[in-house]
Amino acid sequence: MSVPSLTMSTEVPTAGVEISNISKSFGNHLVLDDISMAVTPGSVTALIGPSGSGKSTLLRCVNLLEKPDRGTITVGSQTIEAGSRVSDRDLLALRRQVGMVFQSFNLFPHFTVLRNIAFPQERILGRSREEAEERAMVLLDRVGLREKAGQHPGRCSGGQQQRIAIARALALDPRAMLFDEPTSALDPEVGVEVIAVMRELAETGMTMIVVTHEMQFAREVGDHLVVMADGHIIEEGIPAAVMADPREERTRRFLSAVLDR
Amino acid sequence: MDLSLYLPRLGDGLVLSLQLTAISVVLGYALGLVFALGVSSTNKLVRFPTLVVVEIGRGIPALVVLYIVYYGFPAIGILFENVLAAAIGLTFTAAAYSSEMIRAGLQSVPKGQLEAAAALGLHGRTAFGRVIFPQGIRSAIPGLMGLAIQSFQGTSLAYSISVNELMSQSYQVSTITFDYLAVYAITGLMYVAIAVPATWLSMGVEKRLARGYA
Repeated sequence: MSVPSLTMSTEVPTAGVEISNISKSFGNHLVLDDISMAVTPGSVTALIGPSGSGKSTLLRCVNLLEKPDRGTITVGSQTIEAGSRVSDRDLLALRRQVGMVFQSFNLFPHFTVLRNIAFPQERILGRSREEAEERAMVLLDRVGLREKAGQHPGRCSGGQQQRIAIARALALDPRAMLFDEPTSALDPEVGVEVIAVMRELAETGMTMIVVTHEMQFAREVGDHLVVMADGHIIEEGIPAAVMADPREERTRRFLSAVLDR
Repeated sequence: MDLSLYLPRLGDGLVLSLQLTAISVVLGYALGLVFALGVSSTNKLVRFPTLVVVEIGRGIPALVVLYIVYYGFPAIGILFENVLAAAIGLTFTAAAYSSEMIRAGLQSVPKGQLEAAAALGLHGRTAFGRVIFPQGIRSAIPGLMGLAIQSFQGTSLAYSISVNELMSQSYQVSTITFDYLAVYAITGLMYVAIAVPATWLSMGVEKRLARGYA
């Protein structure tokens, strides 16, 4: 038998993500100002910028954890118009296509690792318990944590928890994956494990949008780099090119600050 | 006079006290959950009325609640038999107090849990029932156990509306035997015999919960 791929989603092709003219305010503060961005299917986009630049908010708009005030979000063939009332069905349909990994992992502490990955499959995809747990074990194997299946997340290190969170999202056969600073809560040596899993995932052709400060990952794995500041995209392009020769002064300052760390 | 003749009566009283406790805790905590959800609602038309009901329940002494239900309600045509009136009054008080503990417990669940459930595409009710509620109620358990012990002691108030619970039985026995000190000492010990082991149990559970999920 061949080794199963990390996604095993031959029947679920990855999708592109298109963000068009998205604006979002929190009170009087304009966090996203008319942002547009296209992510081609199977590509990896790294989203960088100083804190408060709106990059996490933008990412959270893609699966409507934040509701944009204006603009449209398209994932695959599904388009959601901001401002209009989004039905529960459309909302869940969108979220089922998009997996998300959080900075703080957000595993369910009262479930075992195996249940964390199997339970959403049963509820959302209607898989049987056996089927869901089998799939969970395959994914745990791929992230190197098969032996953690029966334990609770609290018994796992941060890096392990984040790999489990990635497996949980992948178990639902998403067509695109969002990562919100997936290594920021981790010690660098542990972050490496997570980066390795993400690198492997990128190689399988998953569409990925990654908010990150990991410049090496952005350069080596990213197909596209987007630099944000104050709710605007100030610069974008091929990661190595932007990093080597930023056009904007603010990009230069941000890059040197991150690279000097 | 041989006090042991009257011990069965005290025993009957204790059984009724325990039954009243069970009813007011089970129904009261269920109603407390409803109140907790109402107070947490984003809908003002739900939140404010619920908040008023909860604050009334917490503000009025349980004895006054019993009097209102038993002596007051007949004036508006609602008549309850005394045990039922006691059960209703004690349930209401338990509901009001427990709702705040449950609300605090649910609120202590990190926001990221709900976000993760939403991002996975789980329905709101599944997210609440399987993710938020089990974690929130867990942190409320020590307080709810303590409240159950207080509710048990609080059943003695039902004496005032002639419910034949433990306190009422011991009062009647004491008026027969005139052995007030012995009767009330025994009565006190009977409350202690339930409350103290229950407290130990509650402390054990609290310690177990503090160890986290495993």
